[in-house]
Amino acid sequence: MKVILKNIGKKYEGREEFTLRGIDLKIESQDFCVILGPSGCGKTTLLRMIAGLNSITEGDLYFNDKRVNKIPPKDRDIAMVFQSYALYPHMNVYDNMGFSLLMRKENKKIIHERVMEAAKLLKLEEYLYSKPSDISGGQRQRVALGRAIVRKPKVFLMDEPLSNLDAKLREHMRVELVRLHKTLGSTTVYVTHDQTEAMTMATKIVLMNDGKIQQVGKPEDFYNKPANIFVAKFIGSPTINIIDGSMINGKFVSKDGIIKVSPSEEDGKLLEFYEGKEVSLGIRAERFESGGKLGDTFECTIDVVEMLGKEKILYTQLENGHELLISVPGHYEYNEGEKHSFGYDISALHFFDSQTGERIN
Amino acid sequence: MKLLRKKEKLYLSDKRPLSITGKILLVITYIILISWAIAILWPLFQMVLSAFNGKQEQYLMLNDQFTFSLKHFEYLFNNTLFLQWTKNTILIALATAVLTLLIVSLTGYAYSRYRFKGKKISLMAMMLIQAIPTFAGITAYFTMYSVISSINPGFTRQMMLVLIYTGGGIANNTFILKGYIDSISTELDDAAKIDGCSNLQVYRLIIMPIARPMLALIALWSFIGPFMDYLLPKVLLTSPETYTLAAGLFTLINDVRTLNQPAFAAGGLLTAIPVVILFIALQKELVSGLAEGSVKG
Amino acid sequence: MIKGGSELISNDIELKKFKFEEKKFLKTLKANKKKFKNSLDKTLPYKAKKLKVDLFLAQEKSQFYKDYVALSYDAEFEYEQSNLLMEELPDIIHNIIDRTLDIEKALIEKKNIDPSRERKFKKEFKEFKKEHKAFLKEEKRKLREKRRKGSISKKAQVNEINILKQKYKEKIILKSYESQRKTNKEFIKNTRHEIKENTKINLKILNSNMADIRRKIPIEVEKTKPKVAYFTFLFPGIGQMFNKQYKKGFIFLLASLFIYLIAIPYALGFGNYQGEGIRGLITLAEGGRRIDKSLIFMIEGIIAIFLVILSLFLLYFSFKDVLKVEKDTIKGVRPNNWFETKTYLSEEGFPYVANLPALIVIIFMVLVPVTTTILLSFTGMDPQHQSKFSWIGIKNYKMIFLGEGLAGSVFWLTLGWTLVWTLLATSLAIFIGFILALLVNNDRVKGKTIFRTIYLLPWAVPAFISIMFFSIMLSPNGAISQLVNNIWGLEMSVKTNTTQTRIALILLQGWLGSSYIFLLSTGVLQAIPSDLYEASEMDGATTWQKLRHITLPIVLFQTAPLLVGQYVFNFNNFSIIYLFNGGGPFEPSKYGNLAGSSDLLISYIYKLTIENQYQGIGAAITVFVSIAVMLVSFLGYRSSKAFKEERL
Repeated sequence: MKVILKNIGKKYEGREEFTLRGIDLKIESQDFCVILGPSGCGKTTLLRMIAGLNSITEGDLYFNDKRVNKIPPKDRDIAMVFQSYALYPHMNVYDNMGFSLLMRKENKKIIHERVMEAAKLLKLEEYLYSKPSDISGGQRQRVALGRAIVRKPKVFLMDEPLSNLDAKLREHMRVELVRLHKTLGSTTVYVTHDQTEAMTMATKIVLMNDGKIQQVGKPEDFYNKPANIFVAKFIGSPTINIIDGSMINGKFVSKDGIIKVSPSEEDGKLLEFYEGKEVSLGIRAERFESGGKLGDTFECTIDVVEMLGKEKILYTQLENGHELLISVPGHYEYNEGEKHSFGYDISALHFFDSQTGERIN
Repeated sequence: MKLLRKKEKLYLSDKRPLSITGKILLVITYIILISWAIAILWPLFQMVLSAFNGKQEQYLMLNDQFTFSLKHFEYLFNNTLFLQWTKNTILIALATAVLTLLIVSLTGYAYSRYRFKGKKISLMAMMLIQAIPTFAGITAYFTMYSVISSINPGFTRQMMLVLIYTGGGIANNTFILKGYIDSISTELDDAAKIDGCSNLQVYRLIIMPIARPMLALIALWSFIGPFMDYLLPKVLLTSPETYTLAAGLFTLINDVRTLNQPAFAAGGLLTAIPVVILFIALQKELVSGLAEGSVKG
Repeated sequence: MIKGGSELISNDIELKKFKFEEKKFLKTLKANKKKFKNSLDKTLPYKAKKLKVDLFLAQEKSQFYKDYVALSYDAEFEYEQSNLLMEELPDIIHNIIDRTLDIEKALIEKKNIDPSRERKFKKEFKEFKKEHKAFLKEEKRKLREKRRKGSISKKAQVNEINILKQKYKEKIILKSYESQRKTNKEFIKNTRHEIKENTKINLKILNSNMADIRRKIPIEVEKTKPKVAYFTFLFPGIGQMFNKQYKKGFIFLLASLFIYLIAIPYALGFGNYQGEGIRGLITLAEGGRRIDKSLIFMIEGIIAIFLVILSLFLLYFSFKDVLKVEKDTIKGVRPNNWFETKTYLSEEGFPYVANLPALIVIIFMVLVPVTTTILLSFTGMDPQHQSKFSWIGIKNYKMIFLGEGLAGSVFWLTLGWTLVWTLLATSLAIFIGFILALLVNNDRVKGKTIFRTIYLLPWAVPAFISIMFFSIMLSPNGAISQLVNNIWGLEMSVKTNTTQTRIALILLQGWLGSSYIFLLSTGVLQAIPSDLYEASEMDGATTWQKLRHITLPIVLFQTAPLLVGQYVFNFNNFSIIYLFNGGGPFEPSKYGNLAGSSDLLISYIYKLTIENQYQGIGAAITVFVSIAVMLVSFLGYRSSKAFKEERL
C-alpha cells in the first residue's frame, strides 16, 4: 500500500507555532521507510498522525489514493508497535495477539490459525499462555510484533521498538525485522533516533529536524551525498569533520589558514560561484590519506586513540586546537602524543554553503 | 607446647555487629514495642472476656468473678433485633459499594483520560466539598426524605442512607482512582484503539481490568463505611427494625429500657470479628494503597 | 470570486432562473424516486435497496447541477457531493449483494448437510473430549506429585495447570470446527457480521469524505449579522432549526421542553410538594396551612433555584451554539451536518456523559443539603419555631460571635477546647504511630508481622465499639478504674471530672488513631530506597542525623496532605466525644445547659440541632466550621503532589 503525505502540518491547541509544517512524503508499497531524527524533531508525531492517533491540522494523507484524514485508526488497516510495547498486562500472550481479531468478531478458528502462525514465525509457541509480566523484554517485543502481524495490515508502524533492548539483542532483531518485512510484503514506517538502525534497515530514509524534512533518499545517498550540514553530521559514526572557511583563489582555506585544500575539477567548477564566500568543508574520518601521493597536507598531534578492533579512531588536534577525527586501519601503529601529516581524498570532499548549510557539490 | 587454636565463631549476619549501646537500644525498642502491644491487647481482651462472662447480668463486671457462658449471645440473638440489624447493615454496605463503584469508575476514567472544560475547577471543588462533614446537611436530609417518601412510598430511609454515603464518597474515591488510572500508560489506550476498540470498550476491556486492585480497595472502603458509621443511622433511622448494627448496638447501652451491656459486648465482638479478619487479610493492599495514595497525593 | 458590478445584475437574473429550475427539478425528482424504488428487485437486501435509491438520486442530481456549478456555491456543493456518492456507492452496494449471495449459498448448503455424518461426528467429538479430559487429569495428577515431592513450587504448579487448561480448551474448540454444521453456522454468522461492519465502516468513510466537501465549499448567505441567535435565544432548538440543523435542533427542543414545562413551572410553584417554588424561599410558609412546613418550602425553593440555574446553562449553551454556527455561515463556513455533530459528540462529549450520574448524585446529596444549611443559618428555626420560621438575617452569627444568648455564650469556650483537642489528639496519634513504625521497621527487630498485625487492631475494630468499651471500662466500677486503683491507689472519677475526661479522650484518640498513622508511615518507610541511607553513612551520618535529615522529611512530605486530613478529621470527630461521655461532664455554670465540657463544636451542633431543635444556630455554627475546615483542606491539598503534577 502506498502512503502519501501532501503538505501535512500539525499545530497543537494552545501552542503558537506549528509542530510540523509542509511535510511532503511518498512512501512506495513494500518500502521500509525509516523516519530518523533527534529527540523532539516531530517524528513520533508524524507517525501518530499516519496512525490516526493524532489529528491532522492541515494537508492530506492518502493510503493508495484514498484520503484517510478523518478515518479512525481501527479502520485504516494498520498495525503499530509501540516503544513500550503496550501489551495488555491482564491478558496472556495468546489473547494479546488475538485481541484485534476478537474485536472484529472473527471466527475462533481463524484467530487460532493466525495466532499460531505468528507465534511460529516469532518463536513464541512456548509462551503463548504466559502473561506479559512473566516473560523477558525481548520476548515482550516479539509479542508486540506478533500482535501487529496477526492483523495482516497493509501498513506497519513502529515507534522505536528496539530502544528497550540490550545491544546484542538489538543487532539480532534488526535483521529479524527486515526479514519479517520481506516475508510479509507490507509497507513499513519505522521511527528511530538511531542512525545505525536507519542505515542498516531502510530502503528509504527520511531525516527530520525541527519539524521539517531535511533529506529523503536511500541510505547510500545519505552517507555519500548529505543534503546539508545537519544531515552530514547526523549520519555516520564517527561524526563527520566540518571545517569552516572560504574559497580564496579556487582553493578552500580554513578560517585560521591552517588547512588548505584544492578541490577536484568538478567540485571546483561548482565552487567558482562561491569565490570569496564562506564555505564549509566536510570530510569523513576514513577519507584522510597517509602515505603515497598526498597533495595538500596538514600536521596534527594525536590526543586520544580509540581502539575499535578493526579500526582506530584518532582524536587529533591541529596547531590552533581545532579537533579532527581520523580513522585508520587497526593494525597501523599510532600512539598518543605523536605528530603526523595527513592528506585528503579529494573525491570524498563535501562542500556546504556556510550560511544556509546546504550542499554545494 | 602446642598452640591452642580456638574455634572461630562465624559471624553470619550481613550487618555490623552491635555495640553495647546498640544492644541496649535494641532492648529498649523491644520493651516499647511489647508494652504498646500489651496496651492494645489488654483492653481488647477485656472486651472479648466480657462477652463470655456469665456472671454479668445487665451491667458489665470486669473483676475477678468469671464464669464462661454463652448466654449473652443467646440473649443477643433471641431478645434483640441483632440479626435484623446485621442484615440491614450488610444490605446497605453492599448497595453503597456497588453504587459507588459504578459511579466512580466512570468519573475516575473520565478525569484521567479526557480533557474537558472545567476539569481542574470541578476537581478542586469536589475536594473542598468533601471536607464538609456529612453531618452538615442533616436537617436537609430529614426533610428531603419526608418529601421524597411522600411522593414515592417505596423509598426507604435506608435507601437515603445509601445515597448519602455514596454521595459523600464520590469526590475522594474519584481522586484516588484517577491517580491510579493516571499511572496506566496511555499507550495501552492507543494500542486498544488501533485494535478496534471504541471509547467504551477501552474503558470496559482494558482500563477497568487493570485498575481492579484499586477498584477492589474502593469497594472495600465503601462496604466497611456503613459498618463503622454511627451518626447518620442514629439520626436518620427511626424504627429499631431498620437500624444498622452501630445504631442498634448502641441502644443496648444507651436506652434504659433495653440496657444490656454484656449483650452489647457480644454484639460488638461479632461485628468486629469479620471486619478485623478482612483488614488483616488485606493488610498488604491497604498499606500499599495508602502509600500510593500519598505518593500520588 | 469577486464579481464586477454589471455582472451582478445578470447574475441575479440567472440565480433566479436557477432557483426556479431547481424547484421544478426537485419536484420531478421526488416522483422519479418513487418510480425507481418500485422498480427495484424485491429480493435485494434492504440496505442495498436504500443505497441504490441514494445512488439513483445522486446520478440525477449530478446531471442537473452540472450546468450551474459556476453560478452558485450551493450548486457546486450538490454537484461535488453527488459525484462522490456516484464514485463510492457502487462498490459498497456490490459488496452487500455479493456477500448476501454467499449467505444464501451457505443456507442452501446447510440444508444439504448429511445428518448421519453429523451424528457420527458428535460421537467422535464426545470421545475426543473424554480422551483429552482424562489426559488433562493425568497431567494434573503428575503435577500434584511433583509438588508433593517438592520439586516444583506452588506458583509453578498453578501456572502449569492454567496453561494445560488453556491448551485443552483450544484443542476442543478446534476439533469442534470439524463439524460441518458448526462451520456452516459460523460462516453465516461471520458473513452477516462482516456485511454489517464493512457497510458501517464504508458509510462512515463516505460520510467523512462528504463532510470534507462541506468544509471545502463555502456557503453564501445574505445576512450579515447573526440576528437569529439573539432573537431565538429564549427558545433552544428554534435557532438550530433556522440554521438547518434539524436533528440537533430537535435535541435542543427537548431542552426547551425541560425549561418551560419543568423548571419554570416548578420555580413558580407548580408541582411542588408543599412549597411555592422560589417564592417559597421568601415567604417560608408564613401564613400558610398548619401542615405547611417552612423547611419544605425552603428546600423546594433551593431545588427550584438549581433547576433555574440548569435552565440558564441550557439557554446559554444553545445561544452560543446558534451564534457560532450563524457567524460561521456569514463567514462562509457551512454548518455541520448531523454526522459531523455526532462524531464530535462521541469524541468530546464522552467525559460529560460519564460524569453525569456523579453530578446528579452530588447535586442532590451534597449541594442541596449544604445550601439548605447555609440558608437555615439565616433563619430563626428553634424549639418554638419548628414548623414555621422566618428570616432573621445574621442574628444567629451575631449571637455566636459575640457570645450572647443561650447558644452564643458557649461558642468560644467550645471552640477553644476543640482547637486544643484537635492539636493534642492528632499530634499524639501521629507521634505514637510514627515512632512505632520506625521501631518496627528496624532491620534487627524480629516478629515484624506479629507486631504489625497487633498494631493494626485499633483501626480494624469498629471505632464505636472500642469507644463504648473504654467508656464502660473507665466508669467508676470499670476495669481500668479498678486497675489504677489497685496499682496506684488513685481514685479515678473520669466521667465526672472535666480535666480527667479531656485527658482520657486525648489518650484514647492516641490509641485509636495511631494504627492508621502506623500503617501509613510503614508504607512510606518501606518505599524509601536504602541507597539514601547507605550514601549518608558514607558521609558519616549518625542514626539520629539519618532520622532527622532523611527519614523525617521524606515521610512528612509524602504524607503531609493525609496528615492534614487527620487534623480535619479530629476537628469534627463526633463519635469519640459523644459516645465516651456524651460530651460531659456537665458544668452548667460555665457551659449552660446544652453543652458539656468536653463537647467539640460538632457535638455541640448535634445537641443544638437534633436534641434541642435549635437548627438555626446549629446551622450557623456548621457554616463556620465548614469554612474553617475547607480552608485548611485547601491549604493541605495545594501542597499535595497530585495537585502540583496535575496532568491536564
